[in-house]
Amino acid sequence: MATLELQNLQAEVAETGEEILRGVDLEVKNGEIHALMGPNGSGKSTTAKVIAGHPAYEVTDGSVTLTLSEADVADIDADVDEEDLTWNLLDLEPNERAALGIFLAFQYPAEIEGVTMVNFLRQALNAKLDEREELFEDEDEEAEAESEKDEGYETSPMEGPADDGDVGVAEFQQLLKEKMELLDMDKKFAERYLNAGFSGGEKKQNEVLQAAILEPSIAVLDEIDSGLDIDRLQDVSKGINALRDEQDTGILQITHYQRILDYVEPDYVHIMLDGKVVKSGGAELAEKLEDEGYDWVREEAYETA
Amino acid sequence: MSTQLPASISEETVTEISAERDEPDWLRQTRLDALSALEELEMPSVIETPGRRWTNLEGLDYESIVDPLDQRDETERVSAEGAEVLDFETALDEHGDLVEEHFGSVTDPETNYLTALSTALFTTGTVIYVPEGVDAEDVKIRAEMNSTSLFSHTLVVTEDNASATILERISNGDTAVDGDRYFSNIVEVASGENSYVQYGTLQNLDEDVYNFTLKRGDADTYSTISWIEGNIGSRLTRSDIETELNGDSSETKIVGAFFGHDHQHLDINARVWHNGEHTTADLVTRGVLDDEARSVYEGVQDVGRDAWDTSSYQRENTLMLSDESEADASPKLIIHNHDTEASHSATVGQVDAEDLFYMTSRSIPENTARNMLVEGFFVPVLEEVEVDELREDIDDLIVARLD
Repeated sequence: MATLELQNLQAEVAETGEEILRGVDLEVKNGEIHALMGPNGSGKSTTAKVIAGHPAYEVTDGSVTLTLSEADVADIDADVDEEDLTWNLLDLEPNERAALGIFLAFQYPAEIEGVTMVNFLRQALNAKLDEREELFEDEDEEAEAESEKDEGYETSPMEGPADDGDVGVAEFQQLLKEKMELLDMDKKFAERYLNAGFSGGEKKQNEVLQAAILEPSIAVLDEIDSGLDIDRLQDVSKGINALRDEQDTGILQITHYQRILDYVEPDYVHIMLDGKVVKSGGAELAEKLEDEGYDWVREEAYETA
Repeated sequence: MSTQLPASISEETVTEISAERDEPDWLRQTRLDALSALEELEMPSVIETPGRRWTNLEGLDYESIVDPLDQRDETERVSAEGAEVLDFETALDEHGDLVEEHFGSVTDPETNYLTALSTALFTTGTVIYVPEGVDAEDVKIRAEMNSTSLFSHTLVVTEDNASATILERISNGDTAVDGDRYFSNIVEVASGENSYVQYGTLQNLDEDVYNFTLKRGDADTYSTISWIEGNIGSRLTRSDIETELNGDSSETKIVGAFFGHDHQHLDINARVWHNGEHTTADLVTRGVLDDEARSVYEGVQDVGRDAWDTSSYQRENTLMLSDESEADASPKLIIHNHDTEASHSATVGQVDAEDLFYMTSRSIPENTARNMLVEGFFVPVLEEVEVDELREDIDDLIVARLD
């Protein structure tokens, strides 16, 4: 059972010092679906980026911890001590957080020219497997692993990485094909450059595909429903539900609208205002927001304050 | 006079070079004319921004880097069936008239100080002659420089309906020569009607070499001249690639890739003159700079008064990997005919922080992610390279530099 816990998380924009998060408390366990809602500027996307380690934000107080269970580290070759099950994510680089099982689906995914989807995803999957081993290795083993570190492609980027790493080309192609079929994605996407020239909906689908391949413990989905038509929304929702049902991933679904929650039913709904989670409840909370907007939450929050 | 003539260069030097090679009178005289023009000629023009002249060609110590009577090279030439790929001396013996007709016809030896210096002093080079209707695939020139200075002249002549794919590699040989050195290379391409020339160069000289190259093509009716220029090595490179689209319906493509690191300096210029009707040009250059490397790029698309129905496109992008690297880019479009479709753009920027974060958030370590982004950045240019071997060689050097 993996648990992501945010306690009194406070963060500001690194460059300007503008305070965004003013004490966020949240707990997401794998297998659960949480919706994080709130008006524009309330800090939802910042919360997602801080969890993933975006360098534009500086954490000024509070903690972000990931607690893994023995089942979560069953794939690790090295001996895993009890103390290695709890990680302070704020001490880790973004790639290390990802390797431990955190996935951030971006609202505006980067378009990366010259790097095909298939190469990127295989590189990412192998990097994840390598990094996981490194994180749990003791220091001597770590030094040895460092000297063998992969520094990019070993062949032309147009051909893709050499057939090394844990997951070979053929094996990966098969995995990718299965996951793409599951998401009703055209297989031609695999050979295209990562997100380059993709429509908004295709990019979002691609984010879910990446989560399906990297199998995170906790996936933070930042407005994955924005800009989707109804067909695409259903495809994406199907993918999210599959993450939870088949991989037992915990979902933190950031959204403005009830719409996606008709397809991805949340176990918990949290409302953010001014950099804090001010109210939490069940799925009915989202319905109430849809009907009545945020004013009543604001009033309630200020009364309490 | 723009630059002091090195003391080692005189009429006697030039005459000696010419006599040693038993050259015809016309070539000796062309050399001597170039030598005497040095007095008046200027250095190639260089991009200037307020308070700064980007490349200091006048500042080079030609006295110490030019040793005209000790030029040594090891040049391997691979011909193709039906074509002739000859060293200059053999070409003068066997095709004297052809060489006389075309030498200096595409690039005026007196274009500037450095072209004249090169014409006066060249001792090596290649003549590629592709007779009418012959397809010469995979012509290769592998040149190694083994002396303080080396001057080279290459002449490509394709007759009507002929084609040539030429791959040229320039590097230093194993013979150690210490200190600063100078390499000069002039390439002329005279294409016949409906002929096709792709001329690819991979320059990987060591980083004590100052490098000047001017490549120029004259495209006849329905002919295509395609240039590929990979610059990885040298201390300083000044590279000019130019096509005159003189024939109607002629085309050119100029594709460039460079990767500078340490204190390397790259001054890259691509120029096209649209003189005929229905001509097309596509200029694509991508460069990466690391450490304290500098680059300056100028691209000119010049559409003449009579160049009806012109299509002309230019893109240049420079990616900087360090805060200490510097780049300037100046794309220029000069249009004298309204029946023109043209575009030009240039960008200079750093690795996008969001791109980097995106990749690291997918478990990829930052250094690997950066390398992937840099390799990916070159892909649109590499995709333009039709010769697999050249594309792979450029990519190998990029990968090696990233390690």
